Amino acid sequence: MTAVKNISDAIRTGRTTAARSAEQVTRLLIDADKKGLNAALDWSPAYLAHEARRIDHRAEKGRLAGVPIAVKDNIATLDLPTTCASRILDGYVSPFEATVIRRLREAGAYVACKANLDEFAMGSSTEWSAFGRVQHPLDPSRVPGGSSGGSAALVAAGVTPVALGSETGGSVRQPASFCGVVGLKPTYGRVSRYGLIAFGSSLDCVSPFGEKVDDVARVLAVMSGHDPLDATTADRPPLTLDEPRRDLRGLTIGLPAEYFPADLHAGVRAALDRTIARVRELGAAVKEVSLPHTQYAVPTYYIVAPAEAAANLARFDGVRYGPRGGAANADLTQMYRDTRGRGFGPEVRRRILVGTYVLSAGYGEQYYHRAQQVRGLIARDFDAVFSAGVDLLLTPTTPTPAFKAGDKIEDPVAMYLADIFVCPSSLSGHPAVSIPVGRDEGLPIGAQLIAPPWHEARMLAAAAAIEGVVDAKREVRP
Amino acid sequence: MTIDSRTIHHIAGLAELAVTDAEAKALAGQLERIVGLVAQLERVEIPSGVGAFVAGPAAATLRDDVVAPVPLNRTPEMLTTGFQRGFYLVPKLGSQEPAE
Amino acid sequence: MTWETIIGLEVHVQLKTRSKMFCGCSASFGDPPNTNVCPTCLALPGALPVPNAEAIRLATLAALALNCTVHERSVFARKNYFYPDLPKGYQISQFDKPLATKGWVEIDTAERGRLRIGVTRLHVEEDSGKSVHDRFPGKTAIDLNRAGVPLAEIVSEPDLRSPAEARAYLVALKQILVFAGVSACSMEEGSLRVDGNLSIHRPGTPFGTKTEVKNLNSFANVERALELELARQTEVLDADGTVDQVTMLYHAGSDSMRVMRSKEESHDYRYFPDPDLPPLVLARTWIEARREELPELPDQKRQRLISSYGIPAYDAGVLIGEPLLADYFEAVVAAGADAKQASNWVMGDVIAAWNDTAALEVSAPRLVALIALLAANTVSHASARKIFAEMRTSGETPEVLAERLGLKQVADTGALEKWVDEVLAANPSEVARYKGGESKLIGFFVGQVMKKSGGKADPKAVQPVLIGKLT
Repeated sequence: MTAVKNISDAIRTGRTTAARSAEQVTRLLIDADKKGLNAALDWSPAYLAHEARRIDHRAEKGRLAGVPIAVKDNIATLDLPTTCASRILDGYVSPFEATVIRRLREAGAYVACKANLDEFAMGSSTEWSAFGRVQHPLDPSRVPGGSSGGSAALVAAGVTPVALGSETGGSVRQPASFCGVVGLKPTYGRVSRYGLIAFGSSLDCVSPFGEKVDDVARVLAVMSGHDPLDATTADRPPLTLDEPRRDLRGLTIGLPAEYFPADLHAGVRAALDRTIARVRELGAAVKEVSLPHTQYAVPTYYIVAPAEAAANLARFDGVRYGPRGGAANADLTQMYRDTRGRGFGPEVRRRILVGTYVLSAGYGEQYYHRAQQVRGLIARDFDAVFSAGVDLLLTPTTPTPAFKAGDKIEDPVAMYLADIFVCPSSLSGHPAVSIPVGRDEGLPIGAQLIAPPWHEARMLAAAAAIEGVVDAKREVRP
Repeated sequence: MTIDSRTIHHIAGLAELAVTDAEAKALAGQLERIVGLVAQLERVEIPSGVGAFVAGPAAATLRDDVVAPVPLNRTPEMLTTGFQRGFYLVPKLGSQEPAE
Repeated sequence: MTWETIIGLEVHVQLKTRSKMFCGCSASFGDPPNTNVCPTCLALPGALPVPNAEAIRLATLAALALNCTVHERSVFARKNYFYPDLPKGYQISQFDKPLATKGWVEIDTAERGRLRIGVTRLHVEEDSGKSVHDRFPGKTAIDLNRAGVPLAEIVSEPDLRSPAEARAYLVALKQILVFAGVSACSMEEGSLRVDGNLSIHRPGTPFGTKTEVKNLNSFANVERALELELARQTEVLDADGTVDQVTMLYHAGSDSMRVMRSKEESHDYRYFPDPDLPPLVLARTWIEARREELPELPDQKRQRLISSYGIPAYDAGVLIGEPLLADYFEAVVAAGADAKQASNWVMGDVIAAWNDTAALEVSAPRLVALIALLAANTVSHASARKIFAEMRTSGETPEVLAERLGLKQVADTGALEKWVDEVLAANPSEVARYKGGESKLIGFFVGQVMKKSGGKADPKAVQPVLIGKLT
């Protein structure tokens, strides 16, 4: 029995109450705080109790009855602040609610806490939060990955069974891999972005974490579907899940050569080798394939995402919300520059500058337009493989296990390259899921399945089958 | 290609970000590296007919012309101290000085 | 050799929708500040735009009315610049793939006759908010009710050769857009705004440096500001100076221009396709259906009024000045009035009343009844105008009003003889002069009788009675 099903069944059948469950979450949040995880930002016992009462008083409990969800703090909630872990949104409480939060609450779930992140979701280690870095739950000296590191750490630490993160370039799969939990990025357009504070609009996806594949699948099923408030959601019904499968017979799993470079971390390679062996045992045909433009994904991403971010973050000008900078007698330019110069942290400022630079006079064609063309080539690579009989791709999620805090903070480019295996499918919009497949020296290692657009059900059924035969907590190297 | 402090000050101006001279110098080096990374794309051969990628639906679905705003749970004045008697207030602008 | 003037105009018109371009807020004018706002038009974190179908329909109608090619695929783009009345820090507009291109407007000019003025492009965008500079000392106040209101921007080719032609183009453009029903085109309410570009050069040589003229709040001011700018550039170039690429602001109060201070970097807009909005895709069949939907446009209507009703071209021109008045004219004729009579009434008292209240208070059949009273000599022309004024607020028939106001003409000889006798008795010297041969004094006597009767006497009946008494 998986966590989400367990809780919601227990509450629906009256074996327990949301109030009792919320009390437990409260204790776990206090414990996590004591340990210095720094994963949860805003939460309160009173609010948890209030939400639990709301659920206990409902006649119709809903599919996610009483399921506590940690929510990355770049997703708008009505009752708790929404800060993006940035000083520029210090004290901001959104006057409206994200569509995903509304849908989850309607299904009986509740927001347990807001989760720490890299400021504005820009980062791969959750070291760039204005509220301090998040610790890896298994090794405080290491990072949990990012940018949704708070959400990943809370699930990995057992505080909440599921959490919401957001992906722009792997920000859920990468920390899921680092923390040893499941992270699911849906097809771009599957889930509404209304209320998700935009970073790279053409890439951003609200994406769930869970202990098990079934947990994230249930959350995605509730969140998904067309939203009249988001023109980039597809006009499709919500996701329906496939029957769980015990084998992978009839499926062809592709192994893209570019994701298994010669210098791949030995532990990661060992974990993947073991997983591939299990996949064969489950009856899948395994086939080596090529996605030739993979190496260009990170450079493409670092044009597209900053360009969009530079425009998306222009609204933080101190006029309508957030702390306003500048002295009382400042002129408008001083007010803008002081508000934004102080409000944004170093990585956000860097990306705004990169984005402004690549769009500025004379460079738009050379950088942004070309990047969007290369992005098309990256998508074509996937299309070619999937139309040639491959049902799913299997890859490592990250080139290495979780790295040490401070290791890459001084070198943006090294940090960016930690996302090399998650970037391509973010750019192309394909769905992908990271599942834990083993540990190396105690650190979790994730494997990634990538599916054709809109085939989350197939991908999740296969992921669950693999999950069932791989001991994710076992060391992969003796 | 070189990105110097002047370039940083110029784009920081476009982005309305305060940047000190010392910061500009450090940022110039960092941006130089990042732009070096993204410049790899110059090597990619683009076959003819490859247009700009569009994420999501190929065509916008439109909204009916109905007055139905998403309600605000908190009023504008609850979100900022810079709101008085119905208006957002900002430092005085030249009376005819739109940026356009 | 003289200078040739080159003018192009950029016109923004507000599309007549109920809600804003990208959110469900009301687009109405004149509400208390910052009341028509929502997460999207306040640019709150996480809010997203969704395009208004009616704005797209109206913009398409406008483009077709201006003879443009409407594209099946166009793209919304972000135009990035910081300004407090621009909440997102970018305006959603269209850039390299606009809704429509390559149209034209026909105008009549004094010097060059009838001309086609090219329309380069028509695209859809959102309006910014309003900055109020005089309400709070030391502060600028921002009202975002207007932020996100749908606009069509219409850019002309540099085909205009004088400020007068620019004005003629604007008059024609406005008329077309009003007829097409896409915009109220009211400069007072800001639903039509104009920026001008002007340069001068020697014929046969490349175009000169153009300057932009802004802050134009009436068609007369557009013409006047362009005249001032033309004079300024001429003076500069005649003195062998150079024209700088600047933006000039017109001040109607002082009838003067000044150079607008412009930020050094203000023109690097960093356009790129808006990733929140998929491309705008319109089926060819849908576009053609909009063409079918277009109402009769001003030129067609003018021609038809002249040929179908036989009214002078001048009358037709006045009538189409306001499509509702032209429709009203046709209704009055259809209800039985003579076309020229109807045209005279519409061009006179009806337009005056319309300008006063922007309403057509007297229905076409009631105006026909009034015209019939006049035609039957039941009332004088002056009385008919009094009755018309009364009819605007009264539901009574013109006959009843004529009776109640005592405006029916009196042709009864008994009553007329009484007035004539009184007039002749009161003016013995004029009677003597008339009898002495000054026969033109008959006009004086008629006038006196009319005065005495309070306008009720039928002048045609008065004269025979007078002549009878005087001989």
